[in-house]
Amino acid sequence: MVESIKTELGAALQGVEIAEANYLERGYHLSLEVASGELLNAARFFDERGFYLAAIVCVDYREYLELVYLFANHASLCKVKVTLKVDPAKPVAPTISAIFDCAYWHEREIREFYGVLFDGHPNMTYLFLHDGIDFYPLRKEQIPVTDDDKRALGSFRPGEGEDTFFVNLGPQHPSTHGVLRVVLKMDGEYIEEAQPVLGYLHRMHEKMAENRSYLQFLPNTGRMDYLGPMAFNLGYVTAVERLCGIPVPDRANCVRVIATELNRISSHLLWLGAYLADLGALTPFLFVFDDREQINDILEGITGSRLTYCYFRFGGLYNDVEEAFIAGTKAFIERMRSRFSLYEKLVGGNVIFINRTRGIGVITKERARKQAVSGPVLRGAGIPMDMRKTEPCAAYGEMDFDVPVGTRGDALDIYHVRIREMENALKIIEQALARLPEGPVMAEKAPKKLKPPKGDLYHTVETPRGELGIYIVSDESDKPYRMKWRVPSFSNLMIFPELAKGNLLADAVAILGSLDLVIPEIDR
Amino acid sequence: MEQIVNMIGRETLKTIVGLIGVLVFVVFNALILTWAERKVAGHMQRRIGPKEVGPYGLIQPIADAIKLLGKEILTPREVDRPLYYLAPILIFVPVLVSFIVIPFDASLQVKDINVGILVILAFSSLSVFSILMAGWGSNNKYALIGAIRSVAQNIAYEIPLLLALLPVIMMANSFSLKTIVEAQKGLWFVVYQPLAFCIYFISAVAETNRTPFDLPEAESELVAGYHTEYSGMRFALFFLAEYTNIFIVSAIAVTFFLGGYQGPFLPGIIWFLLKSYLLVFVIIWLRWTYPRVRFDQLLNVSWKALIPLAFINLLITGGLLKL
Repeated sequence: MVESIKTELGAALQGVEIAEANYLERGYHLSLEVASGELLNAARFFDERGFYLAAIVCVDYREYLELVYLFANHASLCKVKVTLKVDPAKPVAPTISAIFDCAYWHEREIREFYGVLFDGHPNMTYLFLHDGIDFYPLRKEQIPVTDDDKRALGSFRPGEGEDTFFVNLGPQHPSTHGVLRVVLKMDGEYIEEAQPVLGYLHRMHEKMAENRSYLQFLPNTGRMDYLGPMAFNLGYVTAVERLCGIPVPDRANCVRVIATELNRISSHLLWLGAYLADLGALTPFLFVFDDREQINDILEGITGSRLTYCYFRFGGLYNDVEEAFIAGTKAFIERMRSRFSLYEKLVGGNVIFINRTRGIGVITKERARKQAVSGPVLRGAGIPMDMRKTEPCAAYGEMDFDVPVGTRGDALDIYHVRIREMENALKIIEQALARLPEGPVMAEKAPKKLKPPKGDLYHTVETPRGELGIYIVSDESDKPYRMKWRVPSFSNLMIFPELAKGNLLADAVAILGSLDLVIPEIDR
Repeated sequence: MEQIVNMIGRETLKTIVGLIGVLVFVVFNALILTWAERKVAGHMQRRIGPKEVGPYGLIQPIADAIKLLGKEILTPREVDRPLYYLAPILIFVPVLVSFIVIPFDASLQVKDINVGILVILAFSSLSVFSILMAGWGSNNKYALIGAIRSVAQNIAYEIPLLLALLPVIMMANSFSLKTIVEAQKGLWFVVYQPLAFCIYFISAVAETNRTPFDLPEAESELVAGYHTEYSGMRFALFFLAEYTNIFIVSAIAVTFFLGGYQGPFLPGIIWFLLKSYLLVFVIIWLRWTYPRVRFDQLLNVSWKALIPLAFINLLITGGLLKL
């Protein structure tokens, strides 16, 4: 795949130098630098070959701003980095939001954080920083925002129509699970337009990362996705280990898998309860909390915390697991297996539930690719893409598990995918427990002070919500030069406006719930 | 004493005493139901519900009531004041009137009106007005959507409700609730009319805005629906009305289908309350088991299933009675 793409790319883009990168070190296979005029051609090339746009990252190198477009493929492992240099004094780049819909938000984000104007973008207004900004926050130097730019950025106004009215779903609303605000343009009970407004939980983790050492940033990861902190932890430590070349002992790798999968189950369980509460059934919430409590107890025993875990360290684990953890996990597997039939009886077989979710929020494969959705939402649409299979980190490569997929791509399919993912997670935990070798849980040669070699890395892991991508640029200092978090909920939320359009208000809640959003992760 | 009674008139006095009794019962019923709902919900959700205040948490509703009474009564600035103030009071009128004609026992009835059921149905349609007033007067979009949903839902479900009661009225040959109960001396009407009972019960759950038909106050979509902007005692009045309504629809079901106050050994009133609260329990049970249906599905159930079925049932009953 990589070879053929390279030759085709060379033919399509004359005069562009295509470099092959060491995938194990860099996380991408090919990299190429294009000029401003070539970017659209490159984007079209990848669009035609079924690539999706994983993320757009902007890096401020002082002499120039670099836009990094990361393309990846659902069918086979082939990642391409396309870069575009922009003048920092007058940063303008062409928009590719007409080709890849998911660029729409990424470009808005870069606009307010870096001041890069995307030529032809339909809506260059604030995405996160609605209170206004005086400086572009992620630039390395203080660049004041001109009054004209401020006006343009703050120009988001929902325009009221003759027969329509606006309803704010959020920011304080029971079914947005956090503080997401969606401005709905309604015609009676029908939604004409949905506009998510982000930023109520924005904490600028990416700027924080640039100002603290690699280890100091570690606890931040769990604060982004508070329901799946293990996976975020795992993503970050494996990324840094990959960057620095730190080996990890087998035992630590197995425990990492067990802890992450336990956390995945607890995250999916909470989703199940919250989703049914969205649909009006309040009892399942208490049932799933009963199960979740067991996981919390187990993980509390090894990590010391019950929500924002910070358990993994560069080169291993914070501490070793004990007999009680293994016994507790085995007991939990027994218990959880018997619970699935109960959920199936109470929820999956319920006529009202089926009628509320079947045919609602249908995502086609094509739309899933264009919007770069990931995780259970993508698999519900029928694309068997799982980072644990394609790019296994820790001990995932040695585990045998299925990647469940849906057929219709609706909310009911996503429900079934998540339930079966929990079953598979149990399977993985069981295998990892059986395999768990004796030995140290911390690499002996793990350096105290991390100074990764110069270069960049795009590293992905599968969190409960989908593809987490971490793009790190290192300048050989003990702090990351730039760290971009490509978070799954951000991309999954992007597809919501088109799913909600033309549906009833109640359906919008059902769709929003099926996407399983965690707002602090979107806002970062 | 005798003089006073003669002056006012025996009937009037009876009505006044009855109304006071009804008021006491309404409050008492709401207290029991709030406790029962929390307790039943607790046990269904694998917890124990209230237990701190009084034995088994029995005094909890009183503590809640005192809390609500002590709260500041907020009035948002932009509300339509007359409508906003009137709505919670008006929602209580139909509730009280309905109690007048319900026979709790052979002799325990405030007033036996020969068109008793019509009085109840006519007045219960009025509650839609107060919900609409609350929704419109609150000047809040969630409240308005909730109110609109409520009106559509109530209109849709009043028809099958009435159509389900008609066969019983035909069989008993009377609109008077007492006569209907007396007509069930031998066999309860639910034996003759199982379909009508089911239709009535589904419609009744919808009429009282309870899960799975709780769209007007769907908290995951509309925050709290038509009473979003109400707080303190005004909110408590809506709450009280809802619980009283649950009891009324159950009481009517008992009167029409389950033999009312009739039953062996125990006194009539005990039988009546037992049967009514059993149905109330079923309604609570439904709430803590099912998700909510969608608006179009809700209307489809009524217009496409319940109403045709009720008509067929009515025709068959009529035909059989003529034979």
